[in-house]
Amino acid sequence: MRCEMKAKSILAVAASLCMMLGVSACGGSSNPSAEGRVYMISQKVENNDQFVELGKQFTKDTGIAFNVVSPAADSYEQTLKSELAKSNAPTIIGLDNNDYPNWAEYCADLSGTSMYKDLKDPNYVLKTGDKVGAIPFVLDRYGIIYNKAILGKYFHASWASLHSVDEIRGFDALKTVADEIQAHKDELGIKGAFTSAGFESSSIRRYGDQLAHIPVYYEYRDQGRTDLPPTVSDKYVPDMKRIFDLYIKDETVPATQLSSATFDDAVSEFSLGDAVFIQTGSWAYPQLKGQKVEDKDMGVLPIYMGVPGEDKAGLTISSNYFAINKKIPAADRKATERFLDWMLTNDGARKIVTDTMGFETPFKSYSKAGYKTRNPILRSNDAYAKRHCYDMTIRPLPSQQWSLSLGNAMLEYAQGTGDWSKVQSAFVDGWASEYKTTHQG
Amino acid sequence: MVSMVGRSVRRWWGLFTLPTVLAFVVGFVVPFVMGVYLSFCRFTTVTDARFIGLGNYRAALSDGEFWHALVYTVAFTVVTTLVVNVVAFAVAFLLTKAIRGANVFRSVFFMPNLIGGIILGYIWLLLLNGVLAHWGRSITYSGVYGFWGMVMLYCWQQIGYMMIIYIAGLQALPGDVIEAAQVDGANGRQTLFRVTLPLMMPSITVCSFLTVTNGFKMFDQNLALTNGAPSNTSELLALNIYRTFYGRTGFEGVGQAKAVVFFVIVAVIAVLQNRLTTSREVSA
Amino acid sequence: MSERIRHSWLWTVLFTVVSLLWVFPIVLVVVNSFKNKAYISRDAFSVPRGRAFVGLDNYARGIERTNLLASFGWTVVVTVGSVALILLCTSMCAWWIVRVGNRVARFLYLLFLFNMIVPFQMVMFTLSKLADMLGLNTPWGLWIVYLGFGAGLAVFIFTGVVKGIPVELEESAMIDGASIPRTFFGIVVPIMRPSIVSVAILEAMWIWNDFLLPYLTLDMRKYKTMSIAIQYLKGGYGSVDMGAMMGCLVLAIIPIIVFYLVCQRYIISGVLAGAVKG
Repeated sequence: MRCEMKAKSILAVAASLCMMLGVSACGGSSNPSAEGRVYMISQKVENNDQFVELGKQFTKDTGIAFNVVSPAADSYEQTLKSELAKSNAPTIIGLDNNDYPNWAEYCADLSGTSMYKDLKDPNYVLKTGDKVGAIPFVLDRYGIIYNKAILGKYFHASWASLHSVDEIRGFDALKTVADEIQAHKDELGIKGAFTSAGFESSSIRRYGDQLAHIPVYYEYRDQGRTDLPPTVSDKYVPDMKRIFDLYIKDETVPATQLSSATFDDAVSEFSLGDAVFIQTGSWAYPQLKGQKVEDKDMGVLPIYMGVPGEDKAGLTISSNYFAINKKIPAADRKATERFLDWMLTNDGARKIVTDTMGFETPFKSYSKAGYKTRNPILRSNDAYAKRHCYDMTIRPLPSQQWSLSLGNAMLEYAQGTGDWSKVQSAFVDGWASEYKTTHQG
Repeated sequence: MVSMVGRSVRRWWGLFTLPTVLAFVVGFVVPFVMGVYLSFCRFTTVTDARFIGLGNYRAALSDGEFWHALVYTVAFTVVTTLVVNVVAFAVAFLLTKAIRGANVFRSVFFMPNLIGGIILGYIWLLLLNGVLAHWGRSITYSGVYGFWGMVMLYCWQQIGYMMIIYIAGLQALPGDVIEAAQVDGANGRQTLFRVTLPLMMPSITVCSFLTVTNGFKMFDQNLALTNGAPSNTSELLALNIYRTFYGRTGFEGVGQAKAVVFFVIVAVIAVLQNRLTTSREVSA
Repeated sequence: MSERIRHSWLWTVLFTVVSLLWVFPIVLVVVNSFKNKAYISRDAFSVPRGRAFVGLDNYARGIERTNLLASFGWTVVVTVGSVALILLCTSMCAWWIVRVGNRVARFLYLLFLFNMIVPFQMVMFTLSKLADMLGLNTPWGLWIVYLGFGAGLAVFIFTGVVKGIPVELEESAMIDGASIPRTFFGIVVPIMRPSIVSVAILEAMWIWNDFLLPYLTLDMRKYKTMSIAIQYLKGGYGSVDMGAMMGCLVLAIIPIIVFYLVCQRYIISGVLAGAVKG
């Protein structure tokens, strides 16, 4: 009897253990497959759908699974972090030069890859010591995109002070145009000169990051360096205020509603012809194209803010980079490199990248095969290049937190709940304190 | 005292308790203990923890945004607890009277409670931004707007739930006591305040604590409706902890320390509730 | 009950108005789900007509972008599996705790009580980490996670019920030669049935709507629950497509309303069971 009881209880333990194991064994479907997998965390949120398309094509061609996740700017770091911690971690990490220092330890050395060898200029890469940590796959340009058709209407108006876009070679001219358009917006059939300067999480990056890069560029130029300085001065903050004031004065919606205005709102205002100007870049082309505003009607101005000598300024140039996660199995690494090779050599892939995504790539194989994007935002830089304008290159920022705080301060200033001194402090003091937290132990 | 059943059941622990206990160890005990330990460490992942003592707690308590979130959460909890319970009680009181269609109304009021917090948040985002647009504002204009937006959302969600509990309580009241009061010449108001309300105290206590704990722990609705915007001024405690944790690298320990503080507050509320309900049961 | 409420019809009118206001937010979402996305944030209260009316486009786009049908399926898998596992395991465990009643049982019971007061934020990081290390980052892995993290309330309610069941019933069954599992499933479970239904409803409401636990635990590229899919629509694609959002919201609400209409009675009993805690 006793013995039987014992046997029974052992049986019961065994049965329940089996049950638990059975359930978790089902869960163990993450056993790595022989051909590996590609999983990309992309910063090109605007191009998410096209990367999905690209991935489908890749899976069809090679049978290798492809996944892409494109987190919003304000959740990019937290998604990347939580995904990197998981067992099926991302294999490709999308980075820009701001983020690179924070994630460099995760990046594998890419100096042996064909993508590195295919670069037109090997100096484009991001390095840690001798390690090639990240390779750019797209060169973006941004500025103030304008609608040539509406602007043309303005130039022909009797009340217009300027008559050609060539006369807009600095902040004062831009302000004159914007103010006059805003004053006559009903006559022009539009809602405002600028699209809404939205600060919803999909759009806050346009100000706390993209706009802030202009004063940061000049600050780096004055300090004569290209790597992150521990402090910045407030010298160019008033210039940023000048252009930002213009954005929020001559726009389509009341500034008090900006906190929930999305990037989508701004894009649809521009593409429905409700506004003349939108501050964004070549990455937005897939969303802008194919609507009311034709490609030939899209032009781009540099972000003028009244800095001396800015009549020689060109568009701002930014790149986005691929890095390979160094902590992944060999099979995944191989699959990932295969994906990158495929992107360089496969015609279907090059077509998607060049035409659908509208990317300007830094690769020899693309230009050799004649792939050149017709993205009008990138092509409009050709004129600036011809005039020998200087590129405003984006320089490292201390952290994502810096741009978020700056963006929030700008929002509060815009809607009247805070004043400009907070923006200035977020820019200058924020820089110093973020440098301390993130770059000194 | 151990029965014969008890003696024979005991040997079956393997089948009867082991699955639950194993899952409990994985899903709760180990994470909890590790969580407490990690709050004293500097770490980015569980394997690289380095003991640093109370540094995380110092950082957590000197974080102005944490205090702001704490005060904001307390204010939110107080306001919603009052509003939800007063309204829910009033509605329950009226619906237990002979009102045509009471059952339909009851069903309607309860329904929002079944909808998940994320979905609720976006429903109200549409509604509130739509309304505020007439004044050229939006819900993320300031922390105050977000506060009242969340109060409305939360009341909409919780009133039906509490109403159900109050209705059950009211229906279980001894009818003869109320009748006796009315026979003695008490008017409606006197009956309500002198007889019904005191008898309803157990339900009121339960509902108050449910609203307090749910309000204090609210996360999903906050995330969907405002996500803390602008400048984290509409951030409740749970969201503040989440953001500290996952918002940027290097602050995981501080996030975990905040979570421990959060846990202690919630636990104190729970213990308080337990004390109050049991003491009342004894005296009743 | 007192019939003496004055102007009963006045109250009915009042409550009708309030009820209509109560469902208004949902109606508003339904109306906007047929609207072109550019017009949703511009004027939420206009009726979609003309250029603004897009038919079922938002639904189609919402389903396509979020893969909502798959998410619906995963949510069902997670919810049904977890609830079934919780009911089975915790009812057995509760019975064991009450009937054995020794020091171990009391300690276990205290641990489960303790579990009830711990907010998820306390364990979110370590739990999701551990779940990932053990390969529990799948919908069926979540069954175990939910059983573990959600055991407290279920054990608590079930022990309360078992305490009220006279032990003599089980004794006589055992004397008649019934095995222990047979006694439990044949005698105890039928008596517990009403509370099992209540707990099922309570846990189902929690798990179906839960966001943060699956968000942090699940392998997101393969499995998304409905809440995750909808949140992802906001944060995951860089732009916020309010049209698709509206479509997804409506699609997420429909199953809940159907469930409510079918199971209203049980839901209310579940709510009351949840309220007795503490």
